[in-house]
Amino acid sequence: MKNGFSVFPAAFIALGLSWCGFVLGPAKQLGTEKQAAVLNSSDTYPIQPTGYATLGLQVYRANGCAACHTEQVRQDGVACEVVLVKAGKNPAAVSNLVSTLKLTGLTKDEADAVSDQITALGGSVETHIVPVGVDIARGWGARQSVAADFLYNDPVQLGSLRAGPDLANIGIRDPDMNWQLVHLYAPSAVAKNSAMPPFRFLFEVRKLGDAPSPDALQFPQGFAPAAGSEVVPTPEAKQIVAYLLSLKADAPLYEAPFTPVTTKP
Amino acid sequence: MNDEARSNCPVGTGGEPEATRSAVPMGIVVLTFALLFLGGVYFDHHSGWFNARVYSPYVSGEQLELYQPKSGAAAALAQGKKVYETVCGICHGPDGMGKPGQAPPLAGSEWVNAGGFHRLAQIPLDGLNGDLQVEGKDWNLNMAPMGAALSDSDLAAVLTYIRSSWGNKAGPVSADDVKAIRAVVAGHPAVNAGQLNSIPE
Repeated sequence: MKNGFSVFPAAFIALGLSWCGFVLGPAKQLGTEKQAAVLNSSDTYPIQPTGYATLGLQVYRANGCAACHTEQVRQDGVACEVVLVKAGKNPAAVSNLVSTLKLTGLTKDEADAVSDQITALGGSVETHIVPVGVDIARGWGARQSVAADFLYNDPVQLGSLRAGPDLANIGIRDPDMNWQLVHLYAPSAVAKNSAMPPFRFLFEVRKLGDAPSPDALQFPQGFAPAAGSEVVPTPEAKQIVAYLLSLKADAPLYEAPFTPVTTKP
Repeated sequence: MNDEARSNCPVGTGGEPEATRSAVPMGIVVLTFALLFLGGVYFDHHSGWFNARVYSPYVSGEQLELYQPKSGAAAALAQGKKVYETVCGICHGPDGMGKPGQAPPLAGSEWVNAGGFHRLAQIPLDGLNGDLQVEGKDWNLNMAPMGAALSDSDLAAVLTYIRSSWGNKAGPVSADDVKAIRAVVAGHPAVNAGQLNSIPE
């Protein structure tokens, strides 16, 4: 131990460097992140959640939802799609040309070449930006998740294991509040073979009064509670569902561009 | 304890062992730098220079810019830039600064920044011949009708691009404007400064 004391500056430098890399660097890059502009629109994104939706994040956290669910959509690539908008003065020639060309799955350069060919014949085209990836093919999102998606999430619940589906866009996929509540109370009632444990403690089963509570869950056939009783969500259940319904990562952003599909299939 | 003292120690009588210094083998030094170089190459290709806006699968800010969906004014400008760089930029320069003795600058030019675009639009449609003053300098020009073969929308886009780039702040030109001007001036021999000045801006 001739140079015993050099352990301390060495440790300080090693920890300091990793602190710079893991804390200071990211904080400098993303720490001042603000609402971003939505592409080709005057809107900003994300919308700050209010009321129950902000509280719901803490219920989500407290119940360990992130242990089995992620909130991040992955994207493996990007493709361009050339869409004919108007055939122009020479529709026969344009449709002839279009039938011989590959219009989907193009790179930007290929798409530009194709649109030049079509516009040369008088047709007008639009180039659509189409993100591709396994998560997107599953319908879990229109684009990859980026830092802006988590602007108002404290703490961010990214998750790393997908025992259940990704929830980054659950507010778009299943916007029905009753469906979400029934799913929390008895997952198999609405999702067959669901591996999710029921979260019955977020609900109260109580005797039916003179009239059913307006909050009472509407169950599908065969899953209704015993006659004379009803299932009512506690505030926590309403909060977590409000949070889930607020998860909509669907805005095209500069860092994750895409052309929104206007007609949903 | 120096080397001489240690060598005097009888074996086994407890002289404390001590690490000696020796040079790092050259192979490891070379390997370290090779790895650093490879790491640098990898970052060059994949990091987008640590740009917080660049996420995989995009590799650079330029590529991300390329994939921005364009619409309306932005699309017209992008188209104008493309046409400019293939048709006009060879002489007038990609930065609009012109070429001495051959093409006057477009950046800051009073012909480009005029309130109206009728004189400007006639130049690519008919060509330009003779003496012309641009930003206080005299030019003797002989420009071919470079824009006569362009479509109305391409020419409008390129005029819009010229009028709004490199510090120019004049208004946009629409394809219908170009169509109207073309209907009047098409086939006219190359204009000169006097003829241009005789038509309203």
